[in-house]
Amino acid sequence: MKNKPWFPVLYMFVVTAVFSSVLIGFAQMTRPRVLANERLAFERATLEAFPEITVPPSPQIHSLFNTLFEKSEDAAGAYVYRKDGRLVGYAVPVAGKGFWAPIRGVVGVSADLTMITGISFYDQNETPGLGARIVEPSFRGQFEGLRVGAIEKPIGIRPVSEALRDNEVHALTGATQTCVRLDVLINERLSEWLAAMRQKGGGQ
Amino acid sequence: MSPTPIKPRQIMLNGLWRDNPIFRQILGICSTLAVTNVVLNTAVMCVSLTLVTALSCWTVSLLRNWTPRNIRMMVQTLIIAFYVIIVDLILKAYWPEMSRNLGPYVGLIITNCIVMGRCEAFAGSNPPRLSFIDGLFSGLGYSFVLLAISVVRELLGMGTFLGIPMPYFSGAYWDKWIIMVMPPGAFFALASALWICRSIGAKEVKK
Repeated sequence: MKNKPWFPVLYMFVVTAVFSSVLIGFAQMTRPRVLANERLAFERATLEAFPEITVPPSPQIHSLFNTLFEKSEDAAGAYVYRKDGRLVGYAVPVAGKGFWAPIRGVVGVSADLTMITGISFYDQNETPGLGARIVEPSFRGQFEGLRVGAIEKPIGIRPVSEALRDNEVHALTGATQTCVRLDVLINERLSEWLAAMRQKGGGQ
Repeated sequence: MSPTPIKPRQIMLNGLWRDNPIFRQILGICSTLAVTNVVLNTAVMCVSLTLVTALSCWTVSLLRNWTPRNIRMMVQTLIIAFYVIIVDLILKAYWPEMSRNLGPYVGLIITNCIVMGRCEAFAGSNPPRLSFIDGLFSGLGYSFVLLAISVVRELLGMGTFLGIPMPYFSGAYWDKWIIMVMPPGAFFALASALWICRSIGAKEVKK
């Protein structure tokens, strides 16, 4: 049988079918976990964008997220953060190109739309030790309490050597490209979102 | 023609040192350059590659008497891809942070010449047990060179080891060599590793 001309074709077909079936089964088995992991990373980042929330261990993140946040049509695609029925702020997902790969994160904005409460990233692949330091508290912490700029752009990231205005933070040394792109992606999404919110008459 | 019998000890030594994939055969350099800037990422990459190589060699060897010669490369690629996808799925499901850190490099194990090289050069004509040992030790030979490179790069570039700040290197006296964690640093470190390992190898040959 091995010498028949059709044998390689049949052989390849059978081998492929066997291996692919195992893979498909395995992928189906792990799929819920993979999706849940992605969701969890996003929910954790959302909680982190509001420093007043103490982020619980992973198993409790989902339930806490659901009690505090709600996706709303009125918030132009952002998540509304309510505590005891009172509006505390908005979690605005931001995403765009980083230096190497897309950066995705969440910006927390106060209820009156004038202040950034915090920022957190849940997907980035910047250079370890340089651009990847955007996830460290020393960098992220600078965003807490920033006044959203009325003119030009909502926020700004400036080189360490320059003086800051009250809507600006210092960039990371050695990660200029990451910071330039971060500045662009945050501002693009944030200005768009702020404009939509102000049109709706929000932000009193 | 029967293949010359080869002892497991011989195979282990070949994979680890005499035919080391990195500094002898210069295979798998893409991932060597790409993932060695942080020790933890390197460690996971090494475990993944070692597992994939060992299991692929084992499977290729199991099927070797059935696989028609003219389509053996296709079958090998299929088997390698199979194991790589499984590793990738496991990381995505159970260690998502690591999966993100390694980015596309897990998937690129498929094209890693070490895996295909061992399948083609050894597993295709040797029994499963020996092929498994061969794949395993080629993977380990790759791993120890990569780990050595990554320890040096992380220490010099970030002053840490496995993310833990090291005395002296993380202090104010040490001016961090940022270039070591950037792509050029990988070339310097790899070249130095080749130089050192080959110098030692040359001495052995003289004796």
